[in-house]
Amino acid sequence: MKSFRGWTLTQRCIAAATLTILCLVANAQGFALLGQSAPDFALRSFGGTNVRISEDRGDVVVLTFWGSQCGVCRRQLDMLDRSFATYRSAGLHMYGVSVDDDAARARQFVAAHPLGFTMLEDPAKDVARRYQIDNLPTTVLIDRGGIVRYVYRDFGPRDEALYLNQLRELLNE
Amino acid sequence: MMVGMSCSWALLSMPAAAQSPAPGSAPTSAETAAKAKAVRAQVEAALAAADNSPGAASPAPATGSAPAASPATGTAPPAAADTRSLDENTQQLKKDVVDLNRDLFVLEEELLFPANTQVAVYVSMDVGEFFALDSVTIKIDNKEVTNYLYTPREVDALLKGGVQRLYLGNLKVGNHELVAFFSGKGPDNRDYRRGASLKFDKSIGAKYLELKIEDRQRKMQPEFAIKDWE
Repeated sequence: MKSFRGWTLTQRCIAAATLTILCLVANAQGFALLGQSAPDFALRSFGGTNVRISEDRGDVVVLTFWGSQCGVCRRQLDMLDRSFATYRSAGLHMYGVSVDDDAARARQFVAAHPLGFTMLEDPAKDVARRYQIDNLPTTVLIDRGGIVRYVYRDFGPRDEALYLNQLRELLNE
Repeated sequence: MMVGMSCSWALLSMPAAAQSPAPGSAPTSAETAAKAKAVRAQVEAALAAADNSPGAASPAPATGSAPAASPATGTAPPAAADTRSLDENTQQLKKDVVDLNRDLFVLEEELLFPANTQVAVYVSMDVGEFFALDSVTIKIDNKEVTNYLYTPREVDALLKGGVQRLYLGNLKVGNHELVAFFSGKGPDNRDYRRGASLKFDKSIGAKYLELKIEDRQRKMQPEFAIKDWE
């Protein structure tokens, strides 16, 4: 294997930047729904009411797919809850979609972690399939026209600032 | 044979919805294609006009309804007239696109669900004092064709007299059976699940069925019925 020791600092920086850009582009392009209409669905919430996402057309919608055994999901749900408390009056709707196999465990999780936004059950995983979820947590930002604009397929420490910027951008449209 | 399904809301009375469109009123594919071509030409012309207009390079507001605010006061009247005409053209184009979309929708339905095999199932609800609707499942010939969850807003629409087209599909001529399961909250807020079934004969011509949810005041119970609209 060729050694990178002979590379100058500039060459290394360029290589690292190129790799990062390629990863970001691949991540964004891998999600076929970007720029498309968000698939409509109706799901039952843990509170018992039914929610149909097309009824929120005209407002910004954030969908986050989570599982009770996913540690990162918990941190992300807390962050999303804070942003929901801040921006709900600006026309933000937020739903957490549980893709747990064990509905009882998901219910326990919801009871133990009370959040301000509505949590939905997707026991058959039809909605997760329609949104092509292959990683948890995945968060989908849908604009006021019902178009999927941004997708996060993971949650890292730097994602919060980017997420808030993009959310504000959608709310300002 | 059952092909496809779709759900849509129609705040129409059932007899009006059940009437098939008059033979002459439906657009033909040739007419629709011609319309699409005309709209496309109009869009191209409008875009060309927008490119050539004097104010095109400046970031003017889309509405263009404030000619007095234009910075170039010397050329304001012609620029304002251009903007107004562009705005009118845009509105006309939007209207044409909406009309075209409607024609295409009608055409698509006629192609996918021809009248001789079409079967449509509607849902209506009256009063709703003894039953809060949550979901409806429809089986035709023992095969589940739709399962619909109702949101509070949809239930409100039904209670206000709305009639929802719950299912649209194709069935061959002959005898068939439709079974509908209604679930929700019944009297005393208890979980309530009931079924209703209807054996019907599908002849040549569209078949319209209505699932009716009504309150039976004497029994203090909801009543579920399936009506066959000939």
